[in-house]
Amino acid sequence: MRSIWAVYKRELALFFRSPIAYIVATSVLLFVGLLFTAITISEVQAALQAAQQGAPGGGATATQLLNATSLITFLMFLIAPLLTMSLIAQENREGTLEVLMTLPMNESAFIIGKFLAAWTYFTILLLVTLVQVWLASWMGVPDYGVVFSSYLGAWLYGGAALAICLIWSAVTEEQVVAAFLGSVTILVLYLSDAFAIYFESLSPAGLETGASNAFTLLAAFFREISLNTHFQASFASGILQAEDALYYGALIVAALFITTRIVEIRRWRD
Amino acid sequence: MIEVENLVKQYAGVPAVKGISFRAEPGHVTGFLGPNGAGKTTTMRMLTGYLPPTAGKATVAGFDVFNDSIKVRESVGYLPENVPLYRDMTARAYLEYLGEIRGIKNVRGRADEVLDRVGLLKRATSPIRNLSKGMRQRVGLASVLLHNPPVIILDEPTIGLDPIQVGELRDLIRELGKEHTVLFSTHILSEAEEVCDRVVILNRGEVVIQGNPTELRSALEAGGRVLIRLERESDQMLEAARLTLEKMPEISHVELQGDALIATPASADIDPRPSIARTVIENGWDLVELRARAVDLEAIFLEVTRQPAAAAAPVPPPATVEEGA
Repeated sequence: MRSIWAVYKRELALFFRSPIAYIVATSVLLFVGLLFTAITISEVQAALQAAQQGAPGGGATATQLLNATSLITFLMFLIAPLLTMSLIAQENREGTLEVLMTLPMNESAFIIGKFLAAWTYFTILLLVTLVQVWLASWMGVPDYGVVFSSYLGAWLYGGAALAICLIWSAVTEEQVVAAFLGSVTILVLYLSDAFAIYFESLSPAGLETGASNAFTLLAAFFREISLNTHFQASFASGILQAEDALYYGALIVAALFITTRIVEIRRWRD
Repeated sequence: MIEVENLVKQYAGVPAVKGISFRAEPGHVTGFLGPNGAGKTTTMRMLTGYLPPTAGKATVAGFDVFNDSIKVRESVGYLPENVPLYRDMTARAYLEYLGEIRGIKNVRGRADEVLDRVGLLKRATSPIRNLSKGMRQRVGLASVLLHNPPVIILDEPTIGLDPIQVGELRDLIRELGKEHTVLFSTHILSEAEEVCDRVVILNRGEVVIQGNPTELRSALEAGGRVLIRLERESDQMLEAARLTLEKMPEISHVELQGDALIATPASADIDPRPSIARTVIENGWDLVELRARAVDLEAIFLEVTRQPAAAAAPVPPPATVEEGA
């Protein structure tokens, strides 16, 4: 615990001194802000039109907010690799890993401390976008239930993506390689619900509903492993399901476990 | 106290350390010598819990390196080769960070204490990247002393330092050796001779010889060759002297090197100098110099690392030249 806390504190402080972390934050907030502005303008125009036609005024709904968390979860294929690429790769390259691994501390404490620092930085970034909810509350009454569940979902999604990218930082000493591999992994996991739709379309028509063949099984597999399915279909729509939270939780635990093993194995082999 | 018994390390079946045994006692500085690739770093990494041994046994401060890794790490201060440090941190912040992981109370106070000990308190708030190489080395040493460990292991600590810094570092190591068990590796032999109470020489993953540097030297000098310099009158006179000396029963062979004669004794336990002196005087030559050829660690090192281990050492491995023996 003591060492997790020490590693966590150092790493978190490092994020606030890292140019890359600021670039990530700036770009994310810029994109989210632009999208918010565009949607707000079109919503207001729609509301004005509706008012002119005598229909009841619409006002701001949860739609924009959905888009804020949806945009961030989509952007995770860039955010997560950029935030995690240096975390272990750099220690490996500089040799500081050897110093740390000869301190009375478990590998897992070191990995968990690093992961929690990255996740905290991401959480802060996510919380800043709540400004939108506050702005939206000027224009109408946001659905706070959906706000809560979509932010909770985006938070878990982010944690899982960061943990997965951390694996690659342990695998290679090259930060760029780690970032690239992380990016590809997250993108594949994000798009795998699209693969699911593709496999479903290959399934021969005319079967009874519920009947399974290779294609529907593949489709089900890709849908279940998709980072997006467990977010869009549930958290983002205001549905809280234990299985979705469990999916992200399991991803985090598994990814951290794999990272720890890789650090251990690399150390034993070099 | 470090005790190593038949320690083996293989990387994917390739042996890097082939069953070495040695001890490093508290209150002594033990030098770990050997050419590059001899297995010094690998051995040190096993002793610090960084690498698991393939076979054999090693205990550090009474704890087994494999089964009690965390206890071992608590008792060891280890400075890896090239002194890896976080360049973006200040010296003080770096020490505080390590101290927190180690669970040291009053970390700030302790960090300043060790910085003062290595003479770097004035630069405590400078980022490490702005420090000179020698200062970084001292930050590394401070990190080793942080938890006042009974065992200190330093991997090539003097590499890349200027002569003054090397001198300061040697003084510090010698001083540390009074209270701690110090094991440090180097390939600079004069350094080992100057600083160490014991040396362990490694070659190709095996201990070729170990013992007190002075003992090692006298072991090699006994039966060593003798240098004779005569007042030179002519080449014929030198050649005559060479032939005369070679006929002595104590001497097996004499060769001419420049204007000196080098005599090899007939057996290792003979010191032929007194009889050489007599012979020279009896023949009416003028003796200018007569001495055993000085042997330093350099010579021992070259001797033992050049040949296959079994034939090399005057004291056959794994036998040890005990101090005071």
